[in-house]
Amino acid sequence: MPKVKMKKHNITMDMTAMCDVAFLLLTFFILTTKFKPNEPVQVEIPGSTAQIPIPDKDVLLISVGNDGRIFYGVDDQFTRVAILDELAKRYGFQITGDMQKRFKLMDQFGVPLDKLAGLLNLSSDDLRNFKQEGLRVNPKAPLPGLAAGPNDDPLAKNDLAELIVIGRSINSNLRIAIKADKLSDYKNIDDVIETLRKTNSNRFNLITSARAAPE
Amino acid sequence: MASIDTGKKGAPHVDMTPMVDLGFLLITFFMLATTFSKPKTMEIIKPAKNDDLTKSPPLKKTRSMSILLGQNDRVYYYVASDEDLAQGKLKVDSTDFSSKGLRGAIRNRQDEVAQQYGNKDTLVVLIKAMPKAKYKNMVDILDEMRITGVKSYALVDLDKVDTTIMELVGALPK
Repeated sequence: MPKVKMKKHNITMDMTAMCDVAFLLLTFFILTTKFKPNEPVQVEIPGSTAQIPIPDKDVLLISVGNDGRIFYGVDDQFTRVAILDELAKRYGFQITGDMQKRFKLMDQFGVPLDKLAGLLNLSSDDLRNFKQEGLRVNPKAPLPGLAAGPNDDPLAKNDLAELIVIGRSINSNLRIAIKADKLSDYKNIDDVIETLRKTNSNRFNLITSARAAPE
Repeated sequence: MASIDTGKKGAPHVDMTPMVDLGFLLITFFMLATTFSKPKTMEIIKPAKNDDLTKSPPLKKTRSMSILLGQNDRVYYYVASDEDLAQGKLKVDSTDFSSKGLRGAIRNRQDEVAQQYGNKDTLVVLIKAMPKAKYKNMVDILDEMRITGVKSYALVDLDKVDTTIMELVGALPK
């Protein structure tokens, strides 16, 4: 029999189109991406049917973990630097370049303010493994710089109130948002809310995840 | 330079496969790292702390409904007029956060108020959360207010009656 000469097929697919698509998508994702901030506490937010989106900037975020630890953060790095300067003045510590850089990159922190210098002196590896104890939030504490009121406990401390006052004196447009874990006790939330009221921040937002509205 | 004659002629082909691989790898990375769904927020406006609340007229209890948030996702609610309270009479019901439970109770109360006052928006809901209630419960109840369309509601502290109720139902340590 005569041998049929098979035409040798070159099975190479043309990948150019696929490559184009891949890089188009890649560009899209690179441009739209906004990295998840690294949070010192895991917060699982509750769902609600609320529709108001969280503002893009000028957010003062208060996080409450399910163990009741409270954290504070502002989104803008310039505000962060200004806050650190003010805190250094009030608590009498020196800011080195490294400390400033670390604080600038810290989305949130939660240590009593007199221990902040110690936190910022940790190396970045130690910082990652360091368990922050949370801010002291006692709504009975007098506001910094003011005399204690009749219901105040002069020995109580409220780091959150101080940070809110400082934050708002630097950027008066800050919107306050509370991001609390769904299993944290109401007591902790109440402390935060009372602190907010004390600093005259009567308007704030609770961050929730979207949930479908029934009928 | 000496070249090897492969016997083939034509346009030089670049093998794109590794490039595509890399492209998709990076896409995967960015897809996983990105946060798409922006969380929503609930706006809360509290009265200023130094407002003198004693000047405002007292709330008529017959158009109110008190909701207590207890432990373990239980809710207790009651309606009490001042006369009933003075006589120590109070009927407290308990329910859960399911759509039939709490939402049904609120809707019933809205209907009652609508019959009595002609407008269901006359209803004022007082939300009182126990320290041991969960934050989730608070968000749920505020959400419930939105869903049932209650116009006036307030987060208030527990008063003496509420603490007694909580002690009676064993939700508060004595």
